[in-house]
Amino acid sequence: MSVKRKGPKATMVRVATYGVLVLVAIVVLFPFVVAVTTSLKDNNDIFSYPPSLVPEQASTVPAAQLGLDGDPLPTFTLPDRDGTFALVGRDVPIAEFRPLDDLERVIALDPAAGEKTGATIVIDGDEEDVFLIDVDGDTIEAYRSRLTSGGEFVNVDDPTDVAIGLVNLAVPAEEFGPRPANFTEVWTDKELGRSLSNTVLVTFAVVIGQLVTSILGGYAFARIDFKGRNGLFLMYLGSVMVPFVVLIIPLFQLMLQVGWLDNLAALIIPFIFTAYGTFLMRQFFVGIPKEIEEAALLDNASRSTILWKIMVPLARPAIATLATFGFLYAWNSFFWPLVIINSGNPEGRVLALTLSTLGGRSSTDINLVFAGAVIAMTPPILVFLFAQRYFVENSASSGLK
Amino acid sequence: MAAVTFSAVTKQYKGDGPLAVDSLDLEIEDGEFMVLVGPSGCGKSTALRMIAGLEEISTGELRIGERVVNDVPPGDRDIAMVFQNYALYPHMTVRDNIGFALEVAKVPKAEIKQRTEHAAEMLGLTEYLDRLPKALSGGQRQRVAMGRAIVRSPQVFLMDEPLSNLDAKLRVQMRSEIIQLQRRLATTMVYVTHDQVEAMTMGHRVAVMRKGILQQVAPPQELYQRPANLFVAAFIGSPAMNLVNATLGGTPDRPTVSFAGHTLAIDSRAIERYPKIVDRIGGPVIVGLRPEHFVMEGDADLPADQMMQLQVDLAEAMGAEVHLHATLDVAPVELEGAPVAAEDGDEVIASITRVIARVEGIHTVMSGERVTLGVKTHLAHFFEPGTGDPLR
Ligand SMILES: Nc1ncnc2c1ncn2[C@@H]1O[C@H](COP(=O)(O)OP(=O)(O)OP(=O)(O)O)[C@@H](O)[C@H]1O
Ligand SMILES: [Mg+2]
Repeated sequence: MSVKRKGPKATMVRVATYGVLVLVAIVVLFPFVVAVTTSLKDNNDIFSYPPSLVPEQASTVPAAQLGLDGDPLPTFTLPDRDGTFALVGRDVPIAEFRPLDDLERVIALDPAAGEKTGATIVIDGDEEDVFLIDVDGDTIEAYRSRLTSGGEFVNVDDPTDVAIGLVNLAVPAEEFGPRPANFTEVWTDKELGRSLSNTVLVTFAVVIGQLVTSILGGYAFARIDFKGRNGLFLMYLGSVMVPFVVLIIPLFQLMLQVGWLDNLAALIIPFIFTAYGTFLMRQFFVGIPKEIEEAALLDNASRSTILWKIMVPLARPAIATLATFGFLYAWNSFFWPLVIINSGNPEGRVLALTLSTLGGRSSTDINLVFAGAVIAMTPPILVFLFAQRYFVENSASSGLK
Repeated sequence: MAAVTFSAVTKQYKGDGPLAVDSLDLEIEDGEFMVLVGPSGCGKSTALRMIAGLEEISTGELRIGERVVNDVPPGDRDIAMVFQNYALYPHMTVRDNIGFALEVAKVPKAEIKQRTEHAAEMLGLTEYLDRLPKALSGGQRQRVAMGRAIVRSPQVFLMDEPLSNLDAKLRVQMRSEIIQLQRRLATTMVYVTHDQVEAMTMGHRVAVMRKGILQQVAPPQELYQRPANLFVAAFIGSPAMNLVNATLGGTPDRPTVSFAGHTLAIDSRAIERYPKIVDRIGGPVIVGLRPEHFVMEGDADLPADQMMQLQVDLAEAMGAEVHLHATLDVAPVELEGAPVAAEDGDEVIASITRVIARVEGIHTVMSGERVTLGVKTHLAHFFEPGTGDPLR
């Protein structure tokens, strides 16, 4: 039901609305963007200053472009010079000159360059010769502050344009350079693969289990008239109010008795019953017109046919909701696995556990931590995107009237 | 196809609640079109749902054909029902909706297809077979619901106000389609409605219910002409029968009926139908005059002692006829303590009775005008005040 308003005022309102929404979206999305880009960065790049959002690496040119053989050559921008230069040689002897009128400025030249004027100047108590040097066509007076070695640079666009200079004064040129190897490294070196498969197993088992128990329980509470139904339902619902922390110790005891400590079963079985899910399914089933079910009864459909062929397809929005919440809960659960799974048992870890140890043990490999985090958060995002179109759908009443 | 027989069937929803259906005896013949009619809450749906097996029978016996079905589950009764809201399966196409019962019965695929398409063709649904219910109009959904019923060739069709969600024009059209369909298939039909016109036009017989109690079962014309009691008289007909508190007078040879200052001679043919009139001369009576029992002076040859003058409050020209609304200074007729209103929605005032006369459309009557009307007293009905029983 979209009401289209017209006129300049309405346009302004709309622009303002979208402006605010975009702003909020940027704020909300920013951490995700940082996580994703960081997961693709080289570890040096993460700590480079100023920080950048895009992963960068030192840029190079192929040696052949400059008519040389060998490895790709790193490129730089030079102070005083325009253009990008490739470093073609190191340990080139150079002389550092400082103009007399600007002693802070450093000009790197061939040691043979410059002509002594015969005059001298005292700098910091030392007597130095004054040279005449050519800089950009001007001849200026300078003294030679140092003889050292530096690099030979060639303009990547003009091989005749050659410069020499100190390598540490040259600024390395950077280019977009993602490092997907982070993912393979965290996958193989940090055993994330095993954790991921554990998490997938636990999550699927929990979601399927929750769906089955909630659908059956919800249907029974909604449509089957049995003695004590309402009392039982209230009790069931009341259990939602009990916080999980209260249950940890008794549940741990129970797992100990059953022998499921350090076992994935302890992450699955206690969580396949959900009062919340049963409540959700019951409310949805109650809302499905009784006549639809009665029509099916008259069509001689059995209870299970009615449930699986009619009620369940109609309850798709509720099922999608329940599955998504169950998924997120199981996927992200951290505390219970931390309690149940032995720290010395990496085989039994789930993603949340592995990520936390990754962050603690090898926090120098920030890029790997972020790569692991991205791997961990991708499935929930995909599930949400896939399921969200079911949330809004409601088909239950459209067969009526 | 089969007959449906209620023997003293009673339904009580709650252990101490009122009886939704009270000791119903009703025999619906094989192939008959039976209409159940009555005001809201009278137990029509309950009776129908007991046939379907959707409600348990508290006491009594219900038979479909020769079989007692009190404890037979709905699916095994071989009946089909069309619900007021159609109750289509929203997530299934028209084809799957119609074929669902056959699929459940594990009928071979090819046969399902053939029977579904045949049913769709009968109902003009062929081009909609692959649509979902939400992409259909109300009338089309209604047809799908019927298709779902006929595809199974059941013993009995049950329909609970199937047309009440349709607009007036479509209702007329579907009404005749349902009649034709039933005549063609000759399947026993139990049809619930509270629509006068449907009740009168569709059924072979009509069963009128009130507060769970069956009042009368008869073919529509008989129901109209020989109502079994005051309730049926008031309920059947639109506009409803005018019921007026009156006094019988005159002599046994030539009795009269008087109300609100009017005295009318009672035609002897009325005495043949209501012989007890003569025993009640001098006593109170409820006289029932249908709107069409009034004629404008000169339209029919009626004796002068069957004429009365009325002040018209409102004249409604309907084209072929004119409805004249008037009031009489006499307390309205009550049925078990509640006034029987002349027409739905009319305000009940304790001291006046509203009447409606239906006269030929050629007359131009202004509101406020005084007219002289002839009354066909030979067609009038007479009931005992209090019990509402007919005086016969
Ligand atoms: N499930 C139920 N539980 C309790 N009482 C009920 C139930 N269904 C119906 N009743 C009661 O039984 C009586 C008959 O109801 P029923 O639905 O048969 O009426 P109806 O004639 O179909 O009316 P309507 O024309 O409004 O559909 C009513 O008084 C109603 O309140
Ligand atoms: Mg009803």
